[in-house]
Amino acid sequence: MQSSIFHGIKLVFRKEFLAGMRCKAAWAAIFMFALTTLSCVSLALQGAVLEPKLQAALFWMVLFFSSMTGMDRCFAEEEMSGTFLPLRLYGAAQAVLFGKMLYSFFLLLVLALFISILFFILLDVGSVSLPEFLAVALAGVLGLSGAGTFLAALTTGAGVKSGLFSVLMLPVILPVFLPAIFLTGRVFGGDSMPFSHLGGMLLYDLLLMVGGSVLFDYFWYEE
Amino acid sequence: MKYLSYLIPMLTVLTCYLVFAVVPPAEGLGELVRIAFFHIPLAWLSVLAFLMSAWWSAAYLRSGSMRQDALSACSAKLGFFAVLLATVSGAMFSKLTWGSYWNWDPRQTTIFVLILIYGAYLTLRAALPNPRKRARTSAVYSLFSCLTVPFLVFIIPRLYFSLHPTPVLNGDGHVDMEPVMLATLLLALLDATLVYVWLLFHAVAKEDPHEP
Repeated sequence: MQSSIFHGIKLVFRKEFLAGMRCKAAWAAIFMFALTTLSCVSLALQGAVLEPKLQAALFWMVLFFSSMTGMDRCFAEEEMSGTFLPLRLYGAAQAVLFGKMLYSFFLLLVLALFISILFFILLDVGSVSLPEFLAVALAGVLGLSGAGTFLAALTTGAGVKSGLFSVLMLPVILPVFLPAIFLTGRVFGGDSMPFSHLGGMLLYDLLLMVGGSVLFDYFWYEE
Repeated sequence: MKYLSYLIPMLTVLTCYLVFAVVPPAEGLGELVRIAFFHIPLAWLSVLAFLMSAWWSAAYLRSGSMRQDALSACSAKLGFFAVLLATVSGAMFSKLTWGSYWNWDPRQTTIFVLILIYGAYLTLRAALPNPRKRARTSAVYSLFSCLTVPFLVFIIPRLYFSLHPTPVLNGDGHVDMEPVMLATLLLALLDATLVYVWLLFHAVAKEDPHEP
């Protein structure tokens, strides 16, 4: 039973990955959104140096809104292409959820890497402790992909699609978002990072995934 | 419910009389303390309605009864109304005492997150045309959004500095309030809770319980 769930997760991840590779426009849209936003900010600043707190807020806002442009598609595309019902009939809830979550995590990880490199170049971020920055970024991306995948499922069948995903996402992700900005600000400012906050973030990420996993069954297996 | 229709107006009049004629000006806050007798019950209602909405959402997922869904939705609507009024009264109090309407105080952040959750829940309901799907999906979202509660209660107050007065029941477990003020506040809380109960069941009774 355990191995069949892992096998299911692997299959769903593989399916998502191949579908993503086939439809490169979706990837391009997310990355171009991030590039456009960051270059707009950099152009507007004209080389002015921002405070670490502001830099951190900007980094997470760009990452959050860029992820919003692509993450809501993971279930909406199944609906549009008519594969949602077969997936519901043949796919186990947990395998579908965690398979898609894993793919979202992978997508956001690549996106975060892309934004980080651009951000460090365009906004002239000083020397930072890379392991600490990576730890915060990983914890943030984990929360975004955990909550995002679950909430993307809830928006299927909604009459109004545009904006709904962000509306649902923001209040739930704020507990990840606010400590992430706080910790990234500390890292950008060269201050020591309080690891209790990072622990809190990871704990909330876990809570999101466990909560999502328990509630997803109610959503997936409708009578 | 019939008795509540008579009891609530009497309690409301009594509470208003106590707030404006009996409660003395508070030390440091003066006459502004009277805002608190409306603000605190509204903030209490915002949280109560949120938790009750989640409770009925869980009940809906267990039973599939549309009445539970109607209770959850009505509770959220009342909570949304209460949270907006609590925000406005709190902002007025903040402007008059600290000089600005909004400064992202931990409690302002908490109430802002509550506004976002209520707004998201009601938007989700409005966006789903199928009643059964609407009930199930919004119940799942309502419970999922409850995961933020530990963060709002334990993490936010440690992240940000607060100007907000200490709670009525402070950290040491002592009640830091004059007896007449405390009695008036408890009466106002009871009144607000009864108004919530009356409005909730009145609104749900109007809806057709046999609706699919």
